[in-house]
Amino acid sequence: MDLRFALEVAVSALMIAGGIFAVIGAMGMVRFRDFYMRLHGPTKSTTLGVGCVLLASMSFFWLKNGHPSLQDMLITLFLFITTPVSAHLLTMSGLHHKLPSAPETKGQPYELDDEDDIARN
Amino acid sequence: MLTNAIAISALLFMLAIALNFYRLIIGPSIPDRLAALDTMYVNAIGAIILFGMWLNTTLYFEAALLIAMLGFISTVAVCKYLLRGDIIE
Amino acid sequence: MTLLLIVLLPLVGSLVPIASARSGRTTCAWLTAILPAIALGIAAWYTPAVFGGQLPQVSLDWVPALGLDIAFRLDGLSLLFVYLVLGIGLLIILYARYYLSEKDSMSRFYAYLMLFMTAMLGIVTADNLLLMWFFWELTSLSSFLLIGYWSHLSEARKGARMALTVTGAGGLCLLAGILLMGHVVGSYSLTTVLEHRELIQQSSLYQPILLLFLLGAFTKSAQFPFQFWLPHAMAAPTPVSAYLHSATMVKAGVFLLARMYPVLSGTDEWFYIVTLTGLATLLYGAFFALIKQDLKGVLAFSTISHLGLITLLFGFNSKLAAVAGVFHIINHATFKASLFMAAGIVDHECGTRDIRKLNGLWRYMPYTTVLAAVASASMAGVPLLNGFLSKEMFLAQSLEAQMLGGLSWMIPALATLGSVLSVAYSLRFIHDVFFNGEPRDLPKTPHEPPRYMRLPIEILILLCIMVGILPGIMVEPILRAATAAVVPGQAPEIHLALWHGFNLPLMMSAIALSAGVLVYLLRNHIYRFHRQFRAVNARQSFEFSVQRVVRSAQWGLDRFENGSLQRYMFLLLLSAVIVAAFGLMDVPSMAGLKSLQPLDPVVVTGAGILCLAGLGTVMLHRRRLLSLLFLSVVGMFVSLTFARFSAPDLALTQLAVEVVTIILLMLALFFLPQKTPKESSGRRVSRDILLSMIFGGVIASLNYAVLTRPLQSISTYFIENSVPGGGGHNIVNVILVDFRGFDTLGEITVLGIAGIAIYKLLNRLRLFMPSSDMEGRPWSPDRYPVILSSVSQTLLPLALLVSVFIFLRGHNLPGGGFIAGLVAAVVIILVYMSRGVEWTQRRMSFNYQPIAVTGVAIAALTGLGSWVFNKPFLTSSFGHFDIPLIGDIELATAMMFDLGVYLTVVGSTLMILANLGKVTTPHRPSKEKQ
Repeated sequence: MDLRFALEVAVSALMIAGGIFAVIGAMGMVRFRDFYMRLHGPTKSTTLGVGCVLLASMSFFWLKNGHPSLQDMLITLFLFITTPVSAHLLTMSGLHHKLPSAPETKGQPYELDDEDDIARN
Repeated sequence: MLTNAIAISALLFMLAIALNFYRLIIGPSIPDRLAALDTMYVNAIGAIILFGMWLNTTLYFEAALLIAMLGFISTVAVCKYLLRGDIIE
Repeated sequence: MTLLLIVLLPLVGSLVPIASARSGRTTCAWLTAILPAIALGIAAWYTPAVFGGQLPQVSLDWVPALGLDIAFRLDGLSLLFVYLVLGIGLLIILYARYYLSEKDSMSRFYAYLMLFMTAMLGIVTADNLLLMWFFWELTSLSSFLLIGYWSHLSEARKGARMALTVTGAGGLCLLAGILLMGHVVGSYSLTTVLEHRELIQQSSLYQPILLLFLLGAFTKSAQFPFQFWLPHAMAAPTPVSAYLHSATMVKAGVFLLARMYPVLSGTDEWFYIVTLTGLATLLYGAFFALIKQDLKGVLAFSTISHLGLITLLFGFNSKLAAVAGVFHIINHATFKASLFMAAGIVDHECGTRDIRKLNGLWRYMPYTTVLAAVASASMAGVPLLNGFLSKEMFLAQSLEAQMLGGLSWMIPALATLGSVLSVAYSLRFIHDVFFNGEPRDLPKTPHEPPRYMRLPIEILILLCIMVGILPGIMVEPILRAATAAVVPGQAPEIHLALWHGFNLPLMMSAIALSAGVLVYLLRNHIYRFHRQFRAVNARQSFEFSVQRVVRSAQWGLDRFENGSLQRYMFLLLLSAVIVAAFGLMDVPSMAGLKSLQPLDPVVVTGAGILCLAGLGTVMLHRRRLLSLLFLSVVGMFVSLTFARFSAPDLALTQLAVEVVTIILLMLALFFLPQKTPKESSGRRVSRDILLSMIFGGVIASLNYAVLTRPLQSISTYFIENSVPGGGGHNIVNVILVDFRGFDTLGEITVLGIAGIAIYKLLNRLRLFMPSSDMEGRPWSPDRYPVILSSVSQTLLPLALLVSVFIFLRGHNLPGGGFIAGLVAAVVIILVYMSRGVEWTQRRMSFNYQPIAVTGVAIAALTGLGSWVFNKPFLTSSFGHFDIPLIGDIELATAMMFDLGVYLTVVGSTLMILANLGKVTTPHRPSKEKQ
């Protein structure tokens, strides 16, 4: 088994794994019962899925061109910087809207009104 | 083998996008839908990169790059709107 | 080329009074007079050549594709008019210096006057019909300014508007006539047109051409039934009336008759229309001149009458009559200008123009009385004055006209009647004003005007007398030259003399003089006869018809444009459906020959989501935020579709525009209600749904039909020429910045203007800010979430790098100035969102307006740069440069242009978004809650 073939296998595996992760994330998003749980899907699984594909793409074009492409790394960088921030903001707005949480959700969202009071005093 | 893997992966990504869209439709709350939209953006990045590999070209990386950047910004804008009303204050 | 100066000098001269406005009134007048005087000198320099039969011409290309050249000629007719326009113009400048009061802006008056002079000179010297029309309309516009000079007077404004409407409408007829004539002859060059008399007269278009040209001429020359504007133009300052109604404006109409005489005259149509119109105008004007009580009104109607006379002469289809017409143009210009100036002096010194009040002025202003009396006598056709000569020729020619058959005797009879009336009103002008008892309650005590105010009249009167006594020396050469241009072929023998022996015309003259005195003595009977008619105010009926036109236009507009966007949309879609549906019905089958592309599940899923999201946007449109989220999905899938079907540039643009739209809508949504009430009735909704379904069906079939057929598109050209012609591999970008660069320049200019307009509109606007959202939730106290602010700061340099990268590679790979500009703007907006306006502006203290303006300027200058290399606007050039360390790179001027696009987009987008964001800055809801 030559090296090239092994790499192709690895790239393919990464791609398919990426797809599977993305679907799992989406499933989580559909299936979970409250907003806070549902956020787990995109933040973890989907990011991982797209990360896998990016990794696959990096290797793919490395294989093809002999050097890794800069844009791929830039996308990965952007993605890994931005996804947590948007998840954080989403959670904040969820809390702000006082979305109901299922009983299984651990921990109580802190009371925004208290926070409000603190800000006021 | 790579071609097949790309096809399968692309299908999976489209499936994921469709599921996200389902969540976008059923809601129930605005943050829910927004999260779904954001996830759709992220999955779209994956789909575009796969398409680039399919065509064996790097031309599509910019589109992916822009989605990564701009999708985030529109999510921020809507969140800021939900939180503060005025997005530029 | 010197010929050009005759027109150019007065044009430049219109700036002189503006520049010298502060240097005193007399200086201003002198400086203004310099350039026309030089132009007159040039005309004089050309005179020997023109008299010698030469035809000085000059021609420069202007818009060759339209047959429009800057071409001038100076034949005898032009030379005659140039003398009149410039000569009398100079006298008017002198006269107006003393006529205008301290309150009137002298520089404005002179500027308008010079502009008008330019236009007149353009008409008479143009050697291209379209150019002539251009100047023709310029006279309408500049005379509008002159007549409405005293714009505080409603009368002046209305009179100016009326003159503009009538002469402007006539100008449009003339344009139509010129276009038809150009179509028949195949050229707009006057020289060519004048050589094709037979071609034009035998063409089936001859009658429309004749009619349209005559409409143009008759409206300008105030011929019946278009005479009504002229009396109302008397609201103008008297120098203007003296200029417009003696030598220029109204003479443009008869000039056109003379100019087109060689090609249009000689037919029965010409004879009947022109003769009858002229005759009617002659009598109409003469009768009303006798009746009017306003000094200038008398002159206005006498002008109409004399223009009728000239028109009548041109109508006779006889060469000698045409000569008489040209001669009378000269004579009328001299005596009418002096009469108007005299009337202006009377008005100026007495404060009124009412003939009933003005009496016996000879005691107060004897000089003026003499001057006015001589001018009047000339108008009446008293021997030894120039008016006599041309009137004599006119009466002689009226005897020659035989076209009316058995009724031909009526023409000389009516011509004599016209002369009788002319004598009567001339007599009235002198006797009623300067003699006939004592003045009655004048607002001012009259006295002689300043010395130099009288000088122009003296010069003109001198001319009247000299021409009247020595016609052979004074006017014969120029008349001969002018006639050569008017009368084709063998020039008639012109023999100007005071004494032709006892003949019929002399008899008629004698009858006219004696009967005129008689009519004047019996004038009270005429007044009594006239008083039984109800006075028709031409201005009121004109205003009435204008209002009616406006109202009916408004009614028609209201049918279609009632302010309801739904209706516009409905009508638009309906017509589109009808047009497309008929087209599709002609196609035998929907599917063409091309085979279909294979379907894959990815595309199917995408299309399904796109459709559903579109539906969702429509169905949820009452819940705006939700609808917006669906709209984002649509946008995302449209850009994915672009990517999938190989249009990465479009995908990038769509993405960037998408996010800007979201930000903009979020900013706007804050001030709008979150939900819209249901407004449409059920019937209306079902109608709209039905229409949109039909529309969708038709468009889908159309697309299908087009896409399944082999397509011959223009893209091959762009693909082939992109690299050799534009030096770039990215065809989309090369089209934007090179092939269609002019479009792009226009677009970014509009973008810049829109940005500045929005900035101006929002400036200082402060809107009330609700302290809670629509469901009563107070806003989150966390203004600037820490994580967001720190991350956005990190992202800024990276994203700007990306923006520059996209910009730089734009010429060869997907990207370009527009996308890069949007990216940069959006990222800066992110900083605004996460850090707030104050924080950001402390760190970026520059304004965005200069950026946008600089962008447009760079793009425009890049385009202009190609002029330096003698290439058309926006020609791009590119080359390979070997730069040490970096190596061989290709640089195109299109890159500079793209930089302009980039800066404009950044500047305008930020100007709009950041300023929208600033609208609420000073009010914090959480603070207001306390």
